[in-house]
Amino acid sequence: MSKESKTLWQKIYSPMVLSLATRNLKLNKFRTILSMIGIVIGVFAICAMGMIGAGFTEEMNSMISDTADTLTISPIGEKIIDGTTTTGLSEKDLRDIESAVKSVTNGFDMIPMYSSTKYIYIGDETTMATISGMDDNDINKLVTLTEGTLPRGSTNVIVGETFAEDNDLRIGSRITLLTSTGQEVTCRVVGIMENTGMFSLGFSTDTAVVGSIEWYTALVGDNHGLYDNVIVRAYDPTELSAIDAAIEKKMNGKEDKDSDDTVYILNSYEVMKVFDDIMSMSAIFTTIISGISLLVAAVAITNVMLMSVKERTREVGILRSIGTFRSQIMQMFLYEAGLIGLIGSIIGTALALIACPVFLYGMIGSAEAMLTVSVLIYVPIGIVIGLIVCLISGLYPAWKAANLNPVEAMSTD
Amino acid sequence: MDSIPVVELHDVSKIYSMPAGDVHALNHVNFSIQKGEFVAIMGPSGSGKSTLMNMIGCLDVPTSGIIKIDGKSTSDMTDDELTIHRRDNIGFIFQKYNLISLLTAYENVEYPLILKYGHHDTTTRTADLLRMVGLTDAQMQHTPYELSGGQQQRVSIARALANDPKFLLCDEPTGNLDSKMSTQIMELLKDLHSKGRTIVMVTHNPVTAEYADHIVIIRDGVIVDE
Repeated sequence: MSKESKTLWQKIYSPMVLSLATRNLKLNKFRTILSMIGIVIGVFAICAMGMIGAGFTEEMNSMISDTADTLTISPIGEKIIDGTTTTGLSEKDLRDIESAVKSVTNGFDMIPMYSSTKYIYIGDETTMATISGMDDNDINKLVTLTEGTLPRGSTNVIVGETFAEDNDLRIGSRITLLTSTGQEVTCRVVGIMENTGMFSLGFSTDTAVVGSIEWYTALVGDNHGLYDNVIVRAYDPTELSAIDAAIEKKMNGKEDKDSDDTVYILNSYEVMKVFDDIMSMSAIFTTIISGISLLVAAVAITNVMLMSVKERTREVGILRSIGTFRSQIMQMFLYEAGLIGLIGSIIGTALALIACPVFLYGMIGSAEAMLTVSVLIYVPIGIVIGLIVCLISGLYPAWKAANLNPVEAMSTD
Repeated sequence: MDSIPVVELHDVSKIYSMPAGDVHALNHVNFSIQKGEFVAIMGPSGSGKSTLMNMIGCLDVPTSGIIKIDGKSTSDMTDDELTIHRRDNIGFIFQKYNLISLLTAYENVEYPLILKYGHHDTTTRTADLLRMVGLTDAQMQHTPYELSGGQQQRVSIARALANDPKFLLCDEPTGNLDSKMSTQIMELLKDLHSKGRTIVMVTHNPVTAEYADHIVIIRDGVIVDE
């Protein structure tokens, strides 16, 4: 009567014990379904929250990362030129900025631009748009055309995709703007810019109207030669923080941002990192909240399993008397808990897989992120969490059943 | 040379602690069962005969004394070893049949074989045993609730024989049956005994006890006649 040696597989799998577990679940269908619903809801909540969070981050990152390589430098300090107080970046400011950037890297583009908001007349319609003027050679560094050509001269412009769609503009369409003296200037659309997306952290093209400096100054004036902002694009986005610090030091006299600063620098890379941190924190927070529903389900499963043990005490006594090991009795109840967990988790995950693309599409107009690893990883995560929670919930009832005294158990009616 | 008894009880006592005081269910019992014997344990209700059977069947442990299985003390055996002993060496037949209600008659008999070998019965042993105790092929697929008391007890006997045990331990095997069915079951046990099977039977019925070739009388936890 020595101890029998068994393989690991034989230890965890027993066909008859599994058969008893599944038959008992079938026998108590209603109770099984009720306890499963708890797990379905819990796993769905965790999975859906995780998937939506990851999908949202994925979509945002894909939109932001394209523009997360720029610093946008805007003037804060006032300048007095020809007795007039104004703000803007002078040629000297540009030289200082350039030298600061060069102290870090030579891999960059620097695009000074004029920028303001203007009424635009298209046929009988009037709309507002941000118009920007920049050097002919700089435009193609900042924007990508979906069609048409870059603007030259004082009567050609390019417009953003969204602006073009909203106002039914195409190549050759004409728009009219008013100069500061009220004179009408009609321009021809020669190109359509690819959207940078609503979450663009640098220069946003979506609703922009861009032309040459000659076009802009003819329309708005040159503001004493002061630019409205400068965009610095680093070829290596990881250098942006160092460039940011160098410009801060050069222009504001110190590396930290302050109210006395002469320029304000928007670092898109830092913004993206902050956004990432916020999204990660909210994902953790929502997962914890979802976990509470799973905890409630776990308590319900423990309760159901304890009821099952109580109802089947006599059966356990019989099984023990005819030679069933304690470990096999434990297995039987753990199989039941595991089956509830596995089926419930699969259903919960499947529901999340259906709901999340719909939700993402409704929120941000795209569900492409559903096919990424960071989103789909929640499928196995959800199933494993559901299974583990159920197994842990079934552990105490299973242990209790395994340690019943066979004689006392058999005398139970 | 005498062979080693199948089961030996040396000075075995069993005391249950109850709120009203200790109950001595067994009091210094000495008893042994030889291979091939048909022993009937008789006594009135509450005499300790079921406790004695639980001790012989290794379902319970004594408060004091030694129980030996094939010469080895049960106090030296782990719970798993005692479980293997019950599975391989003892065939239990209970008054209430104690079949698993979730399983068919066939599966109830097959269950001890699966416990021992880890897989379904690939031979005709299960069906042969059920046919031997008088069940038809159709009845084999019935659950216990679909069988009569006599048929359930026959299934219980077939299950007890599944692993070819060293002895059968019967607790009032005819207690829930009418006289006709009782006779059939006892004839079945008698037939098994005639083929060399060791049988220990607890009963309070003198008619049933007459089938045994050795009767032990127990009263107030003490063997008074052997």
